[in-house]
Amino acid sequence: MADVDAVKSLSGLLNGIAQKVYYNNSDITEELLKTELYPELPQEEFKALHEKMKGLLKSIATADMDHAQLEAFLTAQTKKQGGGGVSAEQAAALSRFWKSQHIRVRESLLAQSRWEPSLRGLSWRVDLQTATSRGDAAHSGPVALMELELGRVGQDSEFVCLEFDEAKINQVLKKMTEIQESIDRIVHRT
Amino acid sequence: MPAAESCASNNVVDNICRLSPDLLAEACQHILTYLQGQTRGVDSAEICDRFQSAGVRLDHEALQDIIRFLLLTFRSGGKSNISGDELVSKLEESSNKWSKASLQVLHKLWSEHGALVHTQQDVQAVLSIGQLVDMQWKLGMAVSSDSCRSLNSPYVTLLLKIVEPSGQICQRSFEMTIPQFQNFHKQFKEIAAVMETV
Repeated sequence: MADVDAVKSLSGLLNGIAQKVYYNNSDITEELLKTELYPELPQEEFKALHEKMKGLLKSIATADMDHAQLEAFLTAQTKKQGGGGVSAEQAAALSRFWKSQHIRVRESLLAQSRWEPSLRGLSWRVDLQTATSRGDAAHSGPVALMELELGRVGQDSEFVCLEFDEAKINQVLKKMTEIQESIDRIVHRT
Repeated sequence: MPAAESCASNNVVDNICRLSPDLLAEACQHILTYLQGQTRGVDSAEICDRFQSAGVRLDHEALQDIIRFLLLTFRSGGKSNISGDELVSKLEESSNKWSKASLQVLHKLWSEHGALVHTQQDVQAVLSIGQLVDMQWKLGMAVSSDSCRSLNSPYVTLLLKIVEPSGQICQRSFEMTIPQFQNFHKQFKEIAAVMETV
């Protein structure tokens, strides 16, 4: 029974660390994790455990380890003498955690290293201009209205509104085809 | 603490009069060419570059204020179809800080181009939102960062040059992952398809 609890607590700890460090969940604090998962453990011991798990997780995430690398890393850690190593139980918990969460953690790291605004949303509609107060027919025809939602990590969105006539849409499409061709050429190789 | 400016526009007039007649003429010409319908918009980045290579240092806000002021002056001048003399009188009425040299530049250019600005205003549609003037793109690969040693992530960056209803051109850039870009591309294809059927 105690083992199952210990396993659950470890998993909970790793998830909690990920929530705070990678998933931007500000509700998760060290105190919360201790209260919820290790209420009986002395403060200094919990702090040491928390720091150790956090450090290991960071090493694994920074190196973006694959399965083989992770196993090698964890094996080396279990062999460490003194207080610096990990128990077989902890190694197993880390391995399980990484298997299920590594994609999500990686997404988060990618987002963190993206400093230009990213495209958060796009809405559009096509109108047919039938008349203007100036009475000119020069601009009649379909008009596309587009709203781009742009924003940096942790900042509010900005909205950019644009209108396009058919000619402009086709010009843009042409450029996008060029981009796609570049992507096909380069990304294919990786 | 220095006293606040009695009128914000006096600051703009000061800055305009500090420009050499040639530089002022260039900036006015750029704006008038747009108001005459010959260019897509007023590119403040271009004007800024010109000023900088002429050794003039103005902060971004001050430059925008100058451009806005000139646009407004020329636009309202065109609307009322006033002459060069009338333009100068109006400017002198609104501020006593005008230098003779600057007023001469404005008088000359307005006398030459004012009529065409006036006729163009009837033709140009005013009700519009931003329009795309130019789009540049870049395909990059994020290799490594301090938080992750092997990012290996391709991305597309777009730089859009947009002309706003005021006539000023601004730049917006943003990044997309490859799947995001492909979805973006797909949306544009859908728009084109809809426009064809409408």
